Amino acid sequence: MEKIGYFCTFTPKELIRAAGFTPVRILAGDRRINLANAHIQSYCCSQVKGCLENLLTGNLDIEGAVFTRSCDSLMRLTDIWEMNSKMEVYDLEFPTKIDENSRGYLMKELYDFKNWLEKLSGEEISLDDLKGSIDLYDELEEILGKIYSIKPDYELILKAETQDVEEVIEEGKKRLEELENSKNPQARVLVTGSVCPFLEVYELIESVGFTIVDDLCTGTRFFRSDAQKPRMEKMEDAMFFLIDKYFLKAPCPTKEYGRDRRFNYLLERAEEADGVIFLLLKFCEPHFFDYSQLKNELGNRGKRTLLLELEFPIASYEQQRTRLEAFHEMVVG
Amino acid sequence: MGKVKKLSANQRMGEILQSYYLEGLKGGMNSWITSGGPVEFLYAMDIYPVYPENHGALMGAAKVGPKFASIAEKEGFSQDLCSYARSDIGSAIAGDSPVGGLPKPNFLFSCNNICNTVVKWYQVLSRMFKVPHFLLDTPFVRKELKESHIDYVESQLYDLIEFLEKITGNEFDESRFSRILMSSIEGINAYREVLQMGRHKPSPLTCFDGFINMAPIVCLRGTEAPIGFYKEMRKELEERVKNGVGAVDDEEIRLLWDNIPIWYRLRGLSEFFSDHNACLVADTYTNAWTDFGELSSSDPIRGIAEAYAPIYLNIGLERMAEIVNRLIDTYGVDGVVIHSNRSCKPYSFGQYEIQKMIDIPSVVIEADMTDSRVFSEAQVQTRLEAFMEMLRS
Repeated sequence: MEKIGYFCTFTPKELIRAAGFTPVRILAGDRRINLANAHIQSYCCSQVKGCLENLLTGNLDIEGAVFTRSCDSLMRLTDIWEMNSKMEVYDLEFPTKIDENSRGYLMKELYDFKNWLEKLSGEEISLDDLKGSIDLYDELEEILGKIYSIKPDYELILKAETQDVEEVIEEGKKRLEELENSKNPQARVLVTGSVCPFLEVYELIESVGFTIVDDLCTGTRFFRSDAQKPRMEKMEDAMFFLIDKYFLKAPCPTKEYGRDRRFNYLLERAEEADGVIFLLLKFCEPHFFDYSQLKNELGNRGKRTLLLELEFPIASYEQQRTRLEAFHEMVVG
Repeated sequence: MGKVKKLSANQRMGEILQSYYLEGLKGGMNSWITSGGPVEFLYAMDIYPVYPENHGALMGAAKVGPKFASIAEKEGFSQDLCSYARSDIGSAIAGDSPVGGLPKPNFLFSCNNICNTVVKWYQVLSRMFKVPHFLLDTPFVRKELKESHIDYVESQLYDLIEFLEKITGNEFDESRFSRILMSSIEGINAYREVLQMGRHKPSPLTCFDGFINMAPIVCLRGTEAPIGFYKEMRKELEERVKNGVGAVDDEEIRLLWDNIPIWYRLRGLSEFFSDHNACLVADTYTNAWTDFGELSSSDPIRGIAEAYAPIYLNIGLERMAEIVNRLIDTYGVDGVVIHSNRSCKPYSFGQYEIQKMIDIPSVVIEADMTDSRVFSEAQVQTRLEAFMEMLRS
């Protein structure tokens, strides 16, 4: 299957797959940023710069790229991407405001997106195509949910983001079985932040003695949603479900929810843990704006916090190790 | 050092701004609002609009940006966040600023047509002050403005009216709103005419005059103040034109400025260009406020949705470059000075691509609108001097 790249977890990958493409998430790579510096300034986050570097070095084998305006940097990356590649570029304008009113708007955006995909593939997306795709992701997400409730498996998420869903389901089943037979009595730490495709970071956190409770965009926020799958008899039902799924997705700081849903969700998740690590990407505005007040509120609730500020590719883990060891001592001590 | 010619409008503008800030101390209901929000709704409901961005600019110009920003930074707000946001949050924590701090908001009204940063910033404020936050969500109009975009923004404007009625306990008066909207358009037209005076050769004003005198169109749009003020300012400029007086002596080079001003270096930069007989005859920043006057629908609410969604910062790079090229053409510009503003990502990212799409030479200077700690005088000076030399040769 040909591939379509996407960046943000609010991209309805079910539609991409229903159109006969493999949705693959574009993430920063191991390479130092070089070519991208000629196209975007130094004060841009290394996720955006890293993705652009992958494009410019010819490391992406995709037919098209789908953007959502989750932050100002991704918004501007859309045009920069289009101007520096030959691939098809599409911007699905997922609303920033999550409420009743934006549902109707998103419905139109989803149909526009469907049209674009159909034009690209030359074939119409049938209800069965979409239902089949929704079911596959549903199965995958259920497995991921079970795995993450025991212990995050970031390698598996990375596969789920970049390989075909059917293959990953099989692998997930095996891993879940193995995991159910192992128990974990360690201190639990909530790791919250945006994206991090570098598995060494998680290995490091675990190696100092933590079990991770996850709230990352390349973790729980990739698959968790409270939406219930209804009977889908017409295309509109399936589209309604997609809206529900992404509106009820584990909340993200790039959105405006009523009643401070993102904050309350995070504070509740922190109850499952003994401490909280903010794994933030330098220059990431959505997360850094929340950081100060979240840290204070967590402190009021007796949770210790640690800020790990990252830039991709990660140059050295040793300094982080020392800080993590000290933090672990504080949390268990 | 060449002397910079001051307009007498500057003084009137100071008086207008002072009385605007004093009005805020009277204790009526107020809302904090972002610079791209449709303020006409607030004026129609007798709600005083407070502009944290204007306040940020004011702190920048008073050179106290770093002082207040560092208060926020001590609280854990990263130095990489927008410096308007940091200075304002710092000012709110300290309860102080050159104007004594801003009045505590009754509620918050943000519109993400200028950036998504304001959504986060206003969420922080909403928790700090424990007041409601209304977001007017304008989709990014990368290519064409779709009917679905307009429908979405329009439907939210009706939500806004309901929200305002609930919070004030007053009914929304449509005819009053229409009158305010008419004043707003009249103000914008008067303002546009001021900016267009820059087409004269020599130009009677520089973009620095535009920056210093933009507060009325931002903060008082919809009231009578900007209409009278800009009409008078235009007269003053016409007088200069009649007498053959340019804002810069012996104007030789005509330039366009891109991005938000470097508020703490207005004078230094103004002198620099004046010394080089270069006049910044126009800019993309003040020009952006003229977008709000383009109401094509006969229904005012839908008209606002159409006008406020595709403003300069909420459109794709190709459209932005078209606008820059149009300004270059209209104002007879020789070169573009591009401020790469660390604090404003949607304004700055993409500038390198826009550079490739414009037909005349340009230079990028790295700075920040309010935070002088990241400003390198020597580096900026060297770049600008080389650019001046290049334009002359």
